[in-house]
Amino acid sequence: MKFADFISRRAIRAELVAEDKEGVIREMIQALLDAGKIEASEFESIVKAILKREELGSTGIGRGVAVPHTKHPSVDRLMGTVAISREGVDFDSLDGEKVQLLFLLISPPDRPGDHLRALENISRQLRDDTFCKFLKKAKSAEEIEQLLDEADNNQFVA
Amino acid sequence: MSQTTVSRTVVLTNRAGLHLRAAMLIAKTVRQFAAQVSIVKSHQRVEATDMLQIISLGAECGAELGIEATGQDADQVLDALGRLFSDNFGEDQEPGN
Repeated sequence: MKFADFISRRAIRAELVAEDKEGVIREMIQALLDAGKIEASEFESIVKAILKREELGSTGIGRGVAVPHTKHPSVDRLMGTVAISREGVDFDSLDGEKVQLLFLLISPPDRPGDHLRALENISRQLRDDTFCKFLKKAKSAEEIEQLLDEADNNQFVA
Repeated sequence: MSQTTVSRTVVLTNRAGLHLRAAMLIAKTVRQFAAQVSIVKSHQRVEATDMLQIISLGAECGAELGIEATGQDADQVLDALGRLFSDNFGEDQEPGN
């Protein structure tokens, strides 16, 4: 699976404003709403589901990266977005590092395979330190988009 | 000091596969022991304390994984990880997170 298969380009945010976990999650879901990817009536329900998932254990996976996610019946295909917090947000990650790079995923309840493929893609690409560093430093949504495209074209992973 | 490596093979039987919460449970478990642990899936080998590396395996239900441990607590950590896998990471068989 490639980033282009699940990252909604119009929902990419290079400068998150919120300074806490719930705030950045809300901001990213708002970005998906603004991009027309989710219904306004589902907004709060999706926020709640993602926060509830965080209660089971942080989705901060280390190296300043988090993948907040949920299954939600209102979507019929996997969708997601990516965002950067310049200052970093405390996400209770296992390694104690603040999170600067976030991938948010919403998947249909009965498609665990797609979710797994997206996680696999994100983590494989981020294992490349150069890609991870460049993404965290990206200054605009366009720059992020370009980096994701380059990753999709196998320019980072050997 | 003995640095024998012990290993075993496990099969993923939870429907959701090796997703993020499962990776977190593995990493947290391994961190409690004095041992170096790797997870191996065909030609890929990852550090079992690193969630990002674990999910990069993309291991689905039915996948066969090797677990290799070296160090003072090698046997204990394999037992603890074996329990996690056989318990399906505490999931009822719902598609996971």
